[in-house]
Amino acid sequence: MRQLLRPLAVVVAVATLGACGPKQAFRLSSDENNAYALREALASRQLPASPTPTNTSKQPRVFVLTAGSPKTIVAYDLAAGNVLWKADADVQSRIFVGGDFIVALEGKQIVARDQGRGAPRWKVDVDGTFIGVAADAERVYVVNRDGNTWWLSAYAGSSGAELWSADAAGQLGAPAAHGGVVYAPFLAQWLTIVDGRTGKTLTRLRGIDEQISTLRVTSQVAYYGSKQGMFRLDERSASGKRAEATYGQVKIPVHLERTTYGRDAYDPIQQSYTAADRARVLWSSEATTEGPMKLTDDGYAIHYFRYVLGFGNDGELRWAYSHPRVELVASEHTGYVIAGVAANGDVVAIEPRTGAVRARKSLGTTAPVLGATFDADGWAPSSAPEPVDTVGALVTIVRDRDARFDRVKELAAGALAKLPGAQVTSELLAVLADPRAPVRLKDTVVDLLVARRDPASLGVLTQQLAIKTDYLAQTEPDALAAVAKAIAGLATTALDPAQVTAALAALQEHLDAPNTSSPDLVHVIAAMAAIGGGAERAALASHLLLYHADEDRGSDPAWQKAIVDGLTAKPGPQERVVLRYVAQDARSKPGLATMIQAAIGPD
Amino acid sequence: MTHARWLWVGLALAIVGAPTHATGQPAKKGAAKKAEVPREVITALGSADLEAAAKAAEQLGANPLAGAHDALLDALALGLPPAVAVPAITGLALHPAPPDVLALRRYAGHANPSVRSAAITELAGYPDPTAHGAVVAGLRDPVGMVRNAAATAAGRGRVKVAIEPMMQLLAKGEEASARGLAQLADPDLSRKLADQLGKVPDATLVVALGTILKRADFGPDAVKVEIVRAIGKIQDPSAVNALTDYIDATPKMPVRTSRQEAMLIVEARLGGK
Repeated sequence: MRQLLRPLAVVVAVATLGACGPKQAFRLSSDENNAYALREALASRQLPASPTPTNTSKQPRVFVLTAGSPKTIVAYDLAAGNVLWKADADVQSRIFVGGDFIVALEGKQIVARDQGRGAPRWKVDVDGTFIGVAADAERVYVVNRDGNTWWLSAYAGSSGAELWSADAAGQLGAPAAHGGVVYAPFLAQWLTIVDGRTGKTLTRLRGIDEQISTLRVTSQVAYYGSKQGMFRLDERSASGKRAEATYGQVKIPVHLERTTYGRDAYDPIQQSYTAADRARVLWSSEATTEGPMKLTDDGYAIHYFRYVLGFGNDGELRWAYSHPRVELVASEHTGYVIAGVAANGDVVAIEPRTGAVRARKSLGTTAPVLGATFDADGWAPSSAPEPVDTVGALVTIVRDRDARFDRVKELAAGALAKLPGAQVTSELLAVLADPRAPVRLKDTVVDLLVARRDPASLGVLTQQLAIKTDYLAQTEPDALAAVAKAIAGLATTALDPAQVTAALAALQEHLDAPNTSSPDLVHVIAAMAAIGGGAERAALASHLLLYHADEDRGSDPAWQKAIVDGLTAKPGPQERVVLRYVAQDARSKPGLATMIQAAIGPD
Repeated sequence: MTHARWLWVGLALAIVGAPTHATGQPAKKGAAKKAEVPREVITALGSADLEAAAKAAEQLGANPLAGAHDALLDALALGLPPAVAVPAITGLALHPAPPDVLALRRYAGHANPSVRSAAITELAGYPDPTAHGAVVAGLRDPVGMVRNAAATAAGRGRVKVAIEPMMQLLAKGEEASARGLAQLADPDLSRKLADQLGKVPDATLVVALGTILKRADFGPDAVKVEIVRAIGKIQDPSAVNALTDYIDATPKMPVRTSRQEAMLIVEARLGGK
């Protein structure tokens, strides 16, 4: 709906702007994509040389909002692992961090609090509708809508004194700020860069082939873009085009469909902490002068509820982290780690390149965490990284009982299947054995097992065959067809002869078992023929003879094809004798003789 | 020799029509030559006329000649439809020989429950651990008819390794296992069965204990007394019937304590009626 309304908003804005004259700061016709002005604007920013927190103490902090009546702000020192303070507050927006203050919408007012103690420092009323707020080290920037006019206003972080305001007859989105400039998205098409000190428009960018609805600002870099991708703000942004700017699009697996690059500046819901914060692309990038955006370490991560998944630029999963029991409600790439806060107050720092956990802390809160704002750019915990357990994490994801994550489980199973080793095969088989696993996931796992072709898995697959129909033990074979197909898939790999012998014996037990269903039997026969190398022929011949005149099994075309294929792939003299006997036996079921004759030809 | 190797040898010889002599069965004293087995019967066994084939299987089973037995083995090796396999299996076991076990085990895993019931039933009669293993496997079969056949066969064949799974089936209320266990029971097993009160459906336990009482070969009487008392503790009406049956089936003289105990319990249970 929003997408549909935006063109309308533009039209309305055009009409309204025409009536209001040139006084407005945000206008439809204005200088834009001006390389010189952009260069000047960028140069005017006061940004640190390395990733650094905004707060004047330059300590990595996180400001957490917990549920309750009233809600509570918890200020937490990430480096020291201490709660700095807690304060009850009716917070209705996200929290933004300045130099020595934090700011948020509390009730109907913008309230700045002393960052050292949490006490309210100043409050200002918001006229009309609150759109968004932002802060840099010294100032607070507020966007509100009053009637048909949107306002961007600046207040001194120290006193709340209004410094300036600029109006717009078209829709302004929630702003972002750093280093003395404020970024104001305008009508989803422009990004206006305003001098935070004076309110003067420094320049503005127009997205020629990309909407501008999402902003992400770190201590050093500003990103802007949309759900499609993000631009790194630099001199090349003046082109306004993806191909000529520092633009990046990561591969977001379809299984993580809710993932976005950041909050939508035009969505009022996302100006507070929401579930949208739990599905984010997390990245950092390096400055470049040509080509697309260069992601640090050639990879990125996706925070998806309780999981964080690391990917390479090619979209291949590199690592996985699964947070125990509860979801991560907020996350941020600090440049060196991915920091996350869980619903239960756990804080975790993850190495972006490897997925190793670098730090675990706890806020010690009992109330559920609603959301959090990190001011932790450059935070790099000094503790040694924990061993990476991607297999364990993927297994945890696959086994997750939460039905919301069924697609994620498919993704994890797919990633798991690409890893070598018998343990992985065991875990995949465990999915098939789990009666509560979704059918679609099981189907995925079957396909993955077949495609896996990991010779080290033969032993595990054989073990799986040990489960048989047993009335007393109340057992049934688990995924017999899938296991047989997976074994057949190993035919072209180098297999341990002893393991092949064991696998053949296990398969033959199912071949000879009375309760093996015909569909399963077809795959068992195919598996034996695939890996047997001739050792399976006696068993298959015996099976053919046993059932060639049987009314039920012998008449099943699928079984007929499987057994004939199995015996005629490379028939030796003995197989030919048996096949000819069956082909000539008057008791053989219709179709079987014809199939054999077609396979081995006339005498 | 493994199943597979035996199969290849047997099949190759059977298909080309040579005598297998696979039975290892010595020619019967005074028996006629193999040629005396009617050729037309052997031919009928392999015909598409299932009724005629089944009749031929019965005839060959009744024939004591080694050639008849070999003909059945050959036919089973080459595969018989269920309607013919059942009489062939039964006929084969009328003159048991060690090589039968491999053939019967193959049919003990047949998809048709009647066929595997027949094979399991006959396997219990062979003093071969692998044959008994197939009987035990039959006790785990999901088809009740096959489990019943296995339990009955285990009792008849005194297959001791079947006791434990049959105890599990007893707990599930399967009467065939109750009767089979009764056939297998010695004093120790009978006491173990008597201890199952509360763990096994009452009526099923009565079947097991009542069947033991009926066994003429079971004793001494002191153990029967224990069984009578165990039955007396069972509240199911079938308990009184079992004791009554025992009283009726046991002569008054010589006096047996177990019978007297049974009479006292029945009088007490039926008192006032």
